[in-house]
Amino acid sequence: MKTLDIIKSANQNLLRNKLRTVLTVLAIFIGSFTIILNTAIQTGVNSFINGQVEAYGGDGYVIIMSADTMNALGDQMGVSSGEPKEYDPDKIQNSATPISEKQLDELNELSSIEKNSIQPMHNVSISYATSDKTDKKYILEASILPPGEVNIDTVAGVKPDLDSEENQITLPPNYASVLGYDSEEAIVGQTITLAVQDQVTLAYTDFEAKVVGVQASGIITQNSALINRVLGDEIYEENTKYYPENMKNQVYSVSAEFRYKDYSAEEVKDQLKEIGLVGMTVDDIVGSIQSFFDVIITVFNIFGMIALLTAAIGIINTLFMSVQERTREIGLDKALGMPSSEVFLSFTVEAVSLGFWGSLLGTGVAMAAGFGANAIFHAAGGFLEAFPTFQLVEFTPYNVIMLMLVIMLVAFLAGTLPAQKAASKDPIDALRYE
Amino acid sequence: MTKEILLSTRNLHKSYGKKESKFDALKGIDLEIDEGETVAIIGKSGSGKSTLMHLLALLDRPTSGTIKLNGISTNRLKNKRLNHLRNKEFGFVFQSFFMNADDTVLNNVILPLKIAGLGYRERKRRAMEALQIVEIEDKAKNKANDLSGGQKQRVCIARAIVNNPKVIFADEPTGNLDSVTGDKITKLLFDLNKDKGITLIIVTHDEDIASKCKRQIRITDGKVISDSNIKKGQK
Ligand SMILES: Nc1ncnc2c1ncn2[C@@H]1O[C@H](COP(=O)(O)OP(=O)(O)O)[C@@H](O)[C@H]1O
Ligand SMILES: [Mg+2]
Repeated sequence: MKTLDIIKSANQNLLRNKLRTVLTVLAIFIGSFTIILNTAIQTGVNSFINGQVEAYGGDGYVIIMSADTMNALGDQMGVSSGEPKEYDPDKIQNSATPISEKQLDELNELSSIEKNSIQPMHNVSISYATSDKTDKKYILEASILPPGEVNIDTVAGVKPDLDSEENQITLPPNYASVLGYDSEEAIVGQTITLAVQDQVTLAYTDFEAKVVGVQASGIITQNSALINRVLGDEIYEENTKYYPENMKNQVYSVSAEFRYKDYSAEEVKDQLKEIGLVGMTVDDIVGSIQSFFDVIITVFNIFGMIALLTAAIGIINTLFMSVQERTREIGLDKALGMPSSEVFLSFTVEAVSLGFWGSLLGTGVAMAAGFGANAIFHAAGGFLEAFPTFQLVEFTPYNVIMLMLVIMLVAFLAGTLPAQKAASKDPIDALRYE
Repeated sequence: MTKEILLSTRNLHKSYGKKESKFDALKGIDLEIDEGETVAIIGKSGSGKSTLMHLLALLDRPTSGTIKLNGISTNRLKNKRLNHLRNKEFGFVFQSFFMNADDTVLNNVILPLKIAGLGYRERKRRAMEALQIVEIEDKAKNKANDLSGGQKQRVCIARAIVNNPKVIFADEPTGNLDSVTGDKITKLLFDLNKDKGITLIIVTHDEDIASKCKRQIRITDGKVISDSNIKKGQK
């Protein structure tokens, strides 16, 4: 028999007992819907988290501070042992300690750290932002863009060019309209004013900055503008102009890129430890969110699998009934020369067809539900309104096709039992059966 | 003109069951059937006619003894080869029709060709031809279940000849039909023998039909008790 004929007649046979077929397909649908939607949510959330990770500085990003600073932070936040410590006059204790010049040099020599990627994390402080289109002044936090391949989601324009000679800024969401522009696109390319207050005279110094983009909302890069290095350095200089000379250059933390392709985060941390430094990678910061989320998804996937298992039993049942009903037909097919292997095949194809239709239906409804949910959540008043780049549900062709194939494989395995029974039927018995 | 021997059996035995419940349905059958013959296998119910036919038609294997088809022993042939032989060389007509009741007449006739893997156009053409021979082509699109008994048996004959077989095995082909319809079906089978030279092996307990065959083989309790073809000189 031709393969196409086998597939055709398998599907025609499924239509003979429509109710039974519909019920079985429904069971497969429930299982596949659950798993496909789950996977899509997992993909959506993970790609969002990964996007956030990149916004933070990508895979190779590490924030480095002295071990003492870290301990001090730990003490303040109560995550250390809690044992009272004795005072040691030779040691600065329970307070942040700058990274020394020597440590910075050693750091630059570490094999795991990308040469010259080290950038001091100066805190820049701006009093307000304004533009010539408005008289109002708005508070604005800003930080210097981290080095490396940082991915910043923007709704308009781009992220600042870290090494550009011109002062550049990428604004957080919602600033375009308050600064007097019709849209996020309209403000891109315009110049705004950032004012920094003199700590002694209380006078303001203005800095011009060209808006190169507007960020999309995210979890991690909150309402902080990103500025490039020249602008950051200018503002930092203004912020620290009254500092004693030795304090001006004090660095409490630096960001750097490590060679994540060759070194694990643990190896980097070990190298840092040897020179008295502590590193925090992006995984340290967002990894726990992700693993918490993965647990929830796994639980849902178990539900899906149980549903699918039930569906598999449904397939076995349905096909056993149909083998029973079609005893004579199978006998006739075999008498007329159909090999047992084709009888086996035609029943497993029936099972696979059930799996195919069930999972196709599951995929279709899951996609409709997913896209619907995305639209509803992102609509005005939806809980994801503030995160336009976050697709809660994300279907990838690879995932969808793989899942459908897995479900069809499960259906196939379920079908082998009844198919074996059909294939082993003796045509004589079947023909005598009246 | 010497006729080729189509089927021959030697000391054919068939038993069902095991040990105490063992039942010998055939107890040493020796036969030779020539190409183009019309053979009636006659006997009372339970005498072993169908069992013998199933063995000759390669639907079952004997407990002991040999069956030769065209001079070749079939005992050691693989199932695959037997399937192929049945599909290509044999046609079957059964007492209770054995049709797929929900399917169309055309699809029922097509079945052996579909199993053979023929393309859609070719098998449809040949099925229509077969339906014309049994004069029921106007019912091709009807559901098999909606036909009368005689029409059903015509469809079964069409199905039996659609693959241009060498031999048709018919097990009580008129058993479920009234005598007038039965005669028509019998005539159809004998016409096929005359026009196409198809060998007929008809299992029946109807003496009327049996007498129309050139040769009658009587079976009682799994043994041949008489064979009108004396020249073959059975032991
Ligand atoms: N599968 C089987 N198991 C046990 N006995 C069987 C089986 N098939 C047939 N028989 C027995 O073999 C004998 C011959 O059967 P069969 O060839 O069908 O007779 P007929 O066709 O002449 O009426 C009968 O007694 C029948 O009960
Ligand atoms: Mg019988």
